[in-house]
Amino acid sequence: MNAIRAVSLLFIATLLAAAQPPTPSFPAIDFEHRVLENGLAVYSIEDHSTPTVAVQVWYRVGSKDDPEGRSGFAHLFEHMMFKSTRNMPSEMLDRLTEDVGGWNNASTYDDYTPYYEVVPSNYLESILWAEADRMGSLTVDEANFLSERDVVKEEFRYRVLAPPYGRLYYAIVKSAFEKHPYRRPGIGSIEELDAATIGEVRAFHATHYRPDNAVLIVAGDFDPARLRKWVDRYFGPIPRPEEEIPRVDVAEPPREEERRVVERVPNVPLPAVAMTWLAPPAAHPDAPALKIAAAILGRGESSRLFQSLVYRQKIAQEVDAAAELMQDLGLFAVLAIIGSGHTPEEGEKALRTEITRLQEKLVPGEELEKAKNLLITDMLRERETGHGKAFALGTAIMLEGDPSKVNRSLAALQAVTAADVQRVARKWLRDAKPVVLSYVAGGE
Amino acid sequence: MIAGLMLAAHVATAQVAPPPPAPPRHVTLPEPAAKTLANGLRVIVVPKHDVPLASARLMVRSGSEQDPAALAGLASLTASLLTQGTKRRTAEQIARGVEALGGTLNATAGWDVSRVDVTVMSSKLEPALEFVADVVRNPTFRNDEVERLRAQAIDAVMVSLQEPLTLARLVASRLVYGGLPYGQSVNGTPQSLKRITRDRAAAFHERHYRPENAVLIIAGDVTPASAFAMAGKHFGSWKRRSGGVVKIELRSGGDPPEPRVVVVDMPDAGQAAVLVTRRGLRRVDPLYYAAIVTNSVLGGGYSARLNQEIRIKRGLSYGATSAFDLRREEGPFAAWTQTKNESASEVAGLIVEELNRLAESEIGEEELTPRKAVLTGGFARSLETTAGVVDRLAALALHGLPLDEIGKFGPGVQRVTSEAVRRFARAHLGGSTASIVIVGDARQFLEPLRKRFEEVEVIALEELDLDSAKLREAPPDP
Repeated sequence: MNAIRAVSLLFIATLLAAAQPPTPSFPAIDFEHRVLENGLAVYSIEDHSTPTVAVQVWYRVGSKDDPEGRSGFAHLFEHMMFKSTRNMPSEMLDRLTEDVGGWNNASTYDDYTPYYEVVPSNYLESILWAEADRMGSLTVDEANFLSERDVVKEEFRYRVLAPPYGRLYYAIVKSAFEKHPYRRPGIGSIEELDAATIGEVRAFHATHYRPDNAVLIVAGDFDPARLRKWVDRYFGPIPRPEEEIPRVDVAEPPREEERRVVERVPNVPLPAVAMTWLAPPAAHPDAPALKIAAAILGRGESSRLFQSLVYRQKIAQEVDAAAELMQDLGLFAVLAIIGSGHTPEEGEKALRTEITRLQEKLVPGEELEKAKNLLITDMLRERETGHGKAFALGTAIMLEGDPSKVNRSLAALQAVTAADVQRVARKWLRDAKPVVLSYVAGGE
Repeated sequence: MIAGLMLAAHVATAQVAPPPPAPPRHVTLPEPAAKTLANGLRVIVVPKHDVPLASARLMVRSGSEQDPAALAGLASLTASLLTQGTKRRTAEQIARGVEALGGTLNATAGWDVSRVDVTVMSSKLEPALEFVADVVRNPTFRNDEVERLRAQAIDAVMVSLQEPLTLARLVASRLVYGGLPYGQSVNGTPQSLKRITRDRAAAFHERHYRPENAVLIIAGDVTPASAFAMAGKHFGSWKRRSGGVVKIELRSGGDPPEPRVVVVDMPDAGQAAVLVTRRGLRRVDPLYYAAIVTNSVLGGGYSARLNQEIRIKRGLSYGATSAFDLRREEGPFAAWTQTKNESASEVAGLIVEELNRLAESEIGEEELTPRKAVLTGGFARSLETTAGVVDRLAALALHGLPLDEIGKFGPGVQRVTSEAVRRFARAHLGGSTASIVIVGDARQFLEPLRKRFEEVEVIALEELDLDSAKLREAPPDP
């Protein structure tokens, strides 16, 4: 478990942003909010429809905070958070969740790291106790550190080395960013993982895992008065350190010219081609229109890339488009896995044609509606469970710095016009320079 | 910027125990309503009103087990072709129309079943069902669509055969079932796919996609009355055929093939896949609950024994798992993991040891109780989404089990005793009855593997023939 972000082909879908009141037909996420004296932000979403409760602690630290020469460290550290603390032996979180019919996990993103549990609601207090305990202390020993580091190296082999397109995602971000740490692989490398020490684990906890760098979200079947009492009891005493929290402050320079990169890797049965552009951060007002542009290009079999490259021209085996917008900036990417008998050059040409079309002609109303309906259904499906609602809220807080966006995202999507889509396609995809990545067999 | 002393201060304090749980609340179970239309189509509806969503599945009780020996992949390709053109719509019109509703039609086939799934806002359920009915009832199997999808399917299979675990599973199916239908690949092989024609797919559809062989399941923000009305409107005129549905007779019983240890040498594999497999049981076997509880102890979940031994204690893998694939006939049991090439032999030994330990020694309540909780908790969570509810009821309906079984899951799991687990494990997991498959860079693990197991067969990747029951022969004639 302890998954690093779930990368489908390109990126996972994230939520959308902007500023309008919620549409009545869409169930709002009704949350309460307060801040403890030590700086911990607490959000709660009460919902008694099932006897379960979701608990999440989001830390404002991610792969972009990996120390120099230690790519993969934030993720390696995330694994250590399941080891011993002051009051818990290693894997006790599993005793408190899995053993009573719940589950737990964590994911390391570029900008943040959520830890999460879902348990039968009568176990809420023990989970709050456990999350507070590992926020306050981490006592992992050398033997556990070394063994878990081996697990992470196996995870690296499992995700990156073994699957045919395991290196593709990392090749894309490495070619796309010149200076920003988003360019480094969040999973790390065997060499840099081997270089990590247990001392660095302790220092990372002290630096980043503190109440004023975290957000606690509880969603589901709980009594608000008891929740308040337990949060005060378990999280209240955790001290807020004096030191300032270090923040990544690297500006990605604008691209001066178009660049071409060829990545030669073993185990590539069919070559791939990807084009990326630098895009704005998640909180930018253009974000909803860029998400819709990506859906028009790459979502479903009626999407433009599928219709052109897979269906009509039969150049590609698979296509994708994504607006992956993060805290500091974003990427807009299109991708094709090339079919037998065709070349990455053909794929690139067809991708460019569709990007140009988006810039030159207004998207027809029906097609715009289709993209919106697909994205709205995604949002509804996420909100079927307490865990999903809490995750939507946490993402809005972390990525957009504004919890209320979780209830305004639908209206923001609805407000996007065909002219908006054309405008953002021109602004971000025409007036900026792409990087073209060819991913072909060879190497190593 | 780094201050690491806070931690050391905490370590010295005495440990405290976690607070105890409060009294539990009960899980609300879905209440399905069911009826059978005059044409034989069974319709199951489960109202669920918390989110304005609805999921629907139309399934026929025929899947990849109905693929003729030379045509592996037929059921799967037939299902994919449903959405690629009907008497009323082109492939593009179908995709555009359904996606405009915010959903996607997923048409797939697997063992025992072919199905079309969709999830949409509940306000769009009726038009979505109209699309489901159209693709299931009126597909045209146009030649150009067949050729396009077949070429893509061949590419996709070629890519998947580069994944060590996918390949290990396919080899395992042959070891356990030889030339029987369950020995073939659901997705077919590049060779078998080339033989599938437009007429073969149309004939498969004609034979198996019939109302009397089908079930429609709907869950979500709808009332049974409105859902039954929609079902009647879009499926009521679907004609039942004269005579029953003719199916390939399945046999998975009888003597299973001798267990083997087979290595597929894939020199540039980034990791080795290790898989231990044997025949399991049927979904309707009275030992169902004993099987799933035993598996939960062995390899169903993070803290189960396989993951404890392989990942948590030794750091040899990102995860180790086991499962019974419960089908109409005896489906396979498998335990599997991926590990660095040089530890493949050690990991194979650990899996076999765990199978035997479960068969030989008593399991205590302190271990059994949490492993049962994993099952009941997972079951309750699966009912939180409309798609999850559809999935649970479809599994019951597919195997002809009564729908009120949904309320018996918890008690069924709780009734399994420690002695029942041991008895089950002795009969179904222990001894040297399992085959072992390792796909990876053989030179890194062959020597220790040969010390651990007596007869190890090595097949070079180029020699491997998945079309052959014996893995190395020429393919059978069509």
